[in-house]
Amino acid sequence: MTMDRREFLQVSVVASGALVLGVSFAGCSGAQRQMRRVAEESGDFRPNMFLTITPDDRILVDVEKSEMGQGILTSHAMLVAEELGVDPDRVEASSADSEKQYQTSYGLQMTGGSTSAVESYVPVRKAAAAAREMLVAAAAAQWGVSSTECETSDGLVRHQNGERQFRFGELTRAAAEVPIPDDPPIKDVEEFEVVGTSARRTDGLEKVDGSAIFGIDVDVPNKVCALCIHPPVFGAEPVSFDADEALSMRGVIDVIAIDSGVAVVADKYWQARRAAPTVKVEWNEPLMTGLSSDQVRAAAADAARKVGREQYGDGDVDVIDERDDLTVVEAEYTGPYLAHATMSPQNCTVHVRDDGVEAWAPTQAPTIVQEALARAVGVSRGDVLVHVPLLGGGFGRRAVPDVAVEAALISKAVDRPVQLIWSREDDTKGGYYRPINHNALRGAVDESGDVVAWRYHNVSQSIVPDVGRPLAAVFPEWLPMRSRAIKTETLFGLMLSGSLPEIVAMEGALPPYHIDNIRLEYTPIRTPVPVAFWRAVGHSYNGFVVESFVDELAHAAEADPYQFRRKMLGNEPELREVLDLAAEAGDWGEPLPEGFGRGIAAYESFDTPVAQVIEAGLIDGEIVLRRIVCVVNCGIALNPDIVRAQMEGGIIYGLSAALRQKVTFDGGRVNQGNFDDYPMMTMQDTPEIEVHIVESDDDPTGVGEPGLPPAAAALANAIYDAAGIRLRDMPFEDALAEIRGDE
Amino acid sequence: MKLIVNGSEFDVDVPDDVPLLWVLREELGMTGTKFGCGKAVCGACTVHVDGRARRSCSYPVGDVGDREVTTIEGLGDGDTLHVVQQAWLEENVPQCGYCQTGQIMQAVVLLQARPEPTDDEIDAAMSASLCRCGTYTRIRAAIKRAARMLSDATDAEVRR
Repeated sequence: MTMDRREFLQVSVVASGALVLGVSFAGCSGAQRQMRRVAEESGDFRPNMFLTITPDDRILVDVEKSEMGQGILTSHAMLVAEELGVDPDRVEASSADSEKQYQTSYGLQMTGGSTSAVESYVPVRKAAAAAREMLVAAAAAQWGVSSTECETSDGLVRHQNGERQFRFGELTRAAAEVPIPDDPPIKDVEEFEVVGTSARRTDGLEKVDGSAIFGIDVDVPNKVCALCIHPPVFGAEPVSFDADEALSMRGVIDVIAIDSGVAVVADKYWQARRAAPTVKVEWNEPLMTGLSSDQVRAAAADAARKVGREQYGDGDVDVIDERDDLTVVEAEYTGPYLAHATMSPQNCTVHVRDDGVEAWAPTQAPTIVQEALARAVGVSRGDVLVHVPLLGGGFGRRAVPDVAVEAALISKAVDRPVQLIWSREDDTKGGYYRPINHNALRGAVDESGDVVAWRYHNVSQSIVPDVGRPLAAVFPEWLPMRSRAIKTETLFGLMLSGSLPEIVAMEGALPPYHIDNIRLEYTPIRTPVPVAFWRAVGHSYNGFVVESFVDELAHAAEADPYQFRRKMLGNEPELREVLDLAAEAGDWGEPLPEGFGRGIAAYESFDTPVAQVIEAGLIDGEIVLRRIVCVVNCGIALNPDIVRAQMEGGIIYGLSAALRQKVTFDGGRVNQGNFDDYPMMTMQDTPEIEVHIVESDDDPTGVGEPGLPPAAAALANAIYDAAGIRLRDMPFEDALAEIRGDE
Repeated sequence: MKLIVNGSEFDVDVPDDVPLLWVLREELGMTGTKFGCGKAVCGACTVHVDGRARRSCSYPVGDVGDREVTTIEGLGDGDTLHVVQQAWLEENVPQCGYCQTGQIMQAVVLLQARPEPTDDEIDAAMSASLCRCGTYTRIRAAIKRAARMLSDATDAEVRR
């Protein structure tokens, strides 16, 4: 099935991006009754799922998104502060437990797709505005005046004559008697006093004084600790084990086999760690035995040189071979499997009881954890309660519930709450990687320097079968949500035709440039290597491919890479704007020290156009970064400093992969294990990063991921400018070594 | 064995070869020190042992002896944050925050040795402390800010 450009873009956005759901606060009598009951029992005023005001004037916000560094606790607090008219420091934001009413992201309670701010911008303000209206109504009723004569500020409701006032806390019971307004008015952008300021992070203090509770810090009564010995080859299961010595060691409670490994359970984690090396495990031979990543690479390269299934077609790319007045450019770009390498290794605490399951899961997807645990231990989803402590990094890895399932199986076996902590090696070798990909490009420019044709064949392993497994369980809720955002026929057509894999793999593959003849093709790779979401997902390689290849075409046309892009962006004013601003801020065309060059890239993902100019060079054969300039248009920046931080982080995450990260395996065994052989950028590698935010009053768009996709291309383009070497294979440091070896 | 942590003496019953990290976290309940790699390559577990930055994940508790251990919990003075922690807040450094306590402990030692560190000195001292969220430019800025705050405080002290 081929879609037109509009459909392709729509579907791509939906496959990865945001879907804003209106949250209704009003008026079912159930909500009203529930609110009254809470007020009667505790005195708390809780008019909706986000907000609670207590009689002692605390303003509490339940944040349905997981805090993994993106600053969602802070922005929720700011949105509430804005509408209530209080200082954001007075608002206490914390992570909400799993609850059906929080399933607002594709029908899931889920944090991903750069949706945190997008999905909360209006609903959280509406929630606070509803509370404000009700507090005012309660006060007005007691004074016998009209609500229009009252206003809120600094946690007070005041009458306009200035003589009478109530603290919010004095009104909680009365406010809970007021009907919940259907559609409370919220402020216009120009009235904002809090939103748009760089308020300090609300979770800053606990993160610098050591009191922050991450998943690994959770303590519950009667807890035991576990580690899980995993198989050397993906998918192997334990056949037998000998734990005699381990069981005699101090603190060890039990050693048990579960599907995915052998768990060592002890009073303390250090005891389990000491005992684990003494356990001897026999594993069966799984599918992966003998498989190497080189084989996968070779198969992908082969496939990429053939014709793939058409995903998008416009005009006729055969002109590339039919006309003899064209300069033809061919290039192949490759990317390896990548681990997420969250700073905190995967962990989860679970207590399986007779009457249900309670989990303390540092997860991006409480709903998926609920469903996975329900299936693992045989209860219904409603019997699984998930608390969400802070996440020590997410990046997509923590959307997969595998570690929670292990913890649940162990807890069920030992009948105690179990805290399972993976080692760093477990984490690196544990799969759910960014998919391997091989991308073949052909393009042509004519004598006037215009791009005549662009053909792109992406060969990659699709994440859909792997992440689809846990998602399948929630599909009944997930599907209808998606169908609201795109044409129903299209959606079901996609599902029935099995096109979802292509959509995720190809997101961002359509160049934004005005080109008459375009063909996009996709061929899936199927291997037993588990793959999943990884920061920016399909954009993580499509940004590199599109923005590298357009650069190659520019050089083939002997054109300036910035101007070359610019003249093809007539239909993309927002992308052109960030491109222009980046060129200007990045001193495009100005002289540089010997050995350095400049690269530019502009790319939109998750509805957010980003352009970057990177200055880099090859110094003594090594890539050295000199300066990074980034321009982003994310609509209104709820907190500009947090937007800047997300750009900085996305760039470094993307460049870490571009420079030096890869997961490879031989004989089914992953070769990397820790930060020494799966290295990331360090401070030494990191130049100054300037982030400029386009002023905008539009609704916010995502920022967690969009900083990443253009970065690798901007760097590769800079190295070409500096040294005439075109880096097409990630990681670049390996590619450079290979080039040096060839010379 | 006896252990002096944050100025208090503790009695812990653990084998000598248990890494200090787990003794702090599990025996003393001080969870601000983090487990990242288990082999001294990321810095998330950094504490001070007699004023030196040490990777507690790879430091056998039996080697501590009568040296004084300081963790993030003992860095400030009661409710008052250490200057380096204050600088971290001012620069909005943390994202996920998991590595930051280790980063702060490392930075404190740097500033004790080099009260006005150059960029190169900061990079050299901090580059073995990894941050997956990519907060490096802010850490650099926070260290410079802390250096200024310390030098202002010293100046004030001298004037008085």
